[in-house]
Amino acid sequence: MSLEKITNPFDARHWIGHMEAEYRYTLGIAGERFFKEIKENERIMGVKCPKCEVVFVPPRLYCEKCFAKLEEWVDVGKRGEVYTYTIATIDIDGKRLEKPQIYALIKFDGACGGLIHRIGETEKVYIGMKVEAVFKPPSERKASINDIAYFKPAE
Amino acid sequence: MFGKKRVAIVGAGVTLFRRNLKETGKELSYHAAKMALEQAGMELRDIQSVVMGTAPDAFDGVHMKGEYLADGAGAYHKPYTRVFVGGGTGVFAPLAGWWHVASGQFDTCLVVCEEKMSSCYPHPQYAFTTIFDPVLERPIGMNLIWIFALEMNRYMHKHNIKKEDIALVSVKNKRNALDNPIAQLAANITVEDVLNSEVMAWPVQRLDVSPTSDGAAAAVLVSEDVAKEVTDNPIWIDGVGWCIDSTQWTNRDLYYPDYVEYAARMAYKMAGIKNPPKEIDVAEPYDPFDYKELHHMEGLLLCKKGEAPKLTREGVTQRDGDLPTCPSGGLLGCGNPIAAAGMMKVCEIFWQLRGEAGKRQVPGDLRTGVAQAWGDLMQYGSVIVLRR
Repeated sequence: MSLEKITNPFDARHWIGHMEAEYRYTLGIAGERFFKEIKENERIMGVKCPKCEVVFVPPRLYCEKCFAKLEEWVDVGKRGEVYTYTIATIDIDGKRLEKPQIYALIKFDGACGGLIHRIGETEKVYIGMKVEAVFKPPSERKASINDIAYFKPAE
Repeated sequence: MFGKKRVAIVGAGVTLFRRNLKETGKELSYHAAKMALEQAGMELRDIQSVVMGTAPDAFDGVHMKGEYLADGAGAYHKPYTRVFVGGGTGVFAPLAGWWHVASGQFDTCLVVCEEKMSSCYPHPQYAFTTIFDPVLERPIGMNLIWIFALEMNRYMHKHNIKKEDIALVSVKNKRNALDNPIAQLAANITVEDVLNSEVMAWPVQRLDVSPTSDGAAAAVLVSEDVAKEVTDNPIWIDGVGWCIDSTQWTNRDLYYPDYVEYAARMAYKMAGIKNPPKEIDVAEPYDPFDYKELHHMEGLLLCKKGEAPKLTREGVTQRDGDLPTCPSGGLLGCGNPIAAAGMMKVCEIFWQLRGEAGKRQVPGDLRTGVAQAWGDLMQYGSVIVLRR
């Protein structure tokens, strides 16, 4: 996104021909740093609200409880715990999956929130299971939540 | 008193709930609104303001749905507002109607809720895929069924609840719906039927879930002065409450809906209710999934945390029990046209308190009822308390 002001009205964006709408989302200010840390450093970061003493994962620009701007970043580690899970047996089109897929909400020690992700390298899962992020090879990373391939058992 | 004027419901109407109705959304709105006006003994010209409740634009693919439905809701040349808080809309719309009248600005308000999910083809589930965070959640391939599965699993884990006990809600509500002429999925089923139904995303199975539906529901809200003119049997809106929790649903403890409790406390305070299980005679907690009725009973403070499955097992929530829940048949039995489903619950409490629920009538001297809906991304609670 350009931050420059347009001074010539003919420079305003226009489009000729068939227009197919798609959506492009920015990661946001906090999101950009979060995904950069995943992509470049294999680190999962949170951000702390000093007033509310809460560490938010994923990190955010502001505290939703007190509206403070958050700047104190902390590494919460690659390991988390399965807070709850589901085993999907059909896909979004209602078709039966060849292999059931485990999805879990993974919480990190001392942090508020967590990450929704796939659980891999196991067919067994339970609430409270310790898991660890498995990152994709550096060349395949795109600053996306899918730069983490999945979480695997860490016990 | 809360607000400048006391507000009553004097008429209600609900259309058939079906998977695919021939009527357009506007026509469904018209039928429900017309029925509500007829019961109130009023004409459209008596209506000073209109509130429309309808859920995501994406169901219809008409991205100005409030305007699209306006004439069917009777809003031509009238002050008109469309409200939308996801699944919570059906109970939030009459709350918005309440403040139209309670503020003293209007003496009458027609509240109409509509949903036509069948336009989204082949399945409205697709419209739900864009409700998730585009950066953190959509790339994982989220869908609605499995986030509820995550919540249900946490609820079961926290209180050590068996699926058999949760299935009893589906059995009860589908059976209650046999007495409801609007119902889409009324049936006599067993716990085994639920437990043997297809697993969609563990622990959610097919018969744990309400269907997608088309339908509409409406009510006429009036000030005390008008109520005295048009009826001997007004039902008062004595409590309203609404609340949103963290929009980051990962930040919440999924086993308990805090936001429903906050909304309920707001409504109970206004209604002067100190002991909800004792003072509430009939309840319509929101039941798009069977575990949600239990979750919401607890959030509504109708029982202790984790106690709702026990009450269900003991028959307390049956129509002839001490605390009947979803005597209408709920969303599990009647169907789930999102906003219309919540509003149907408000209409049901209205009819129950008036003694007009026919075969569905809860026995006894009913004075107070509560209806509740739940929405957005699992963090919105809307609660209404009605009194005779």
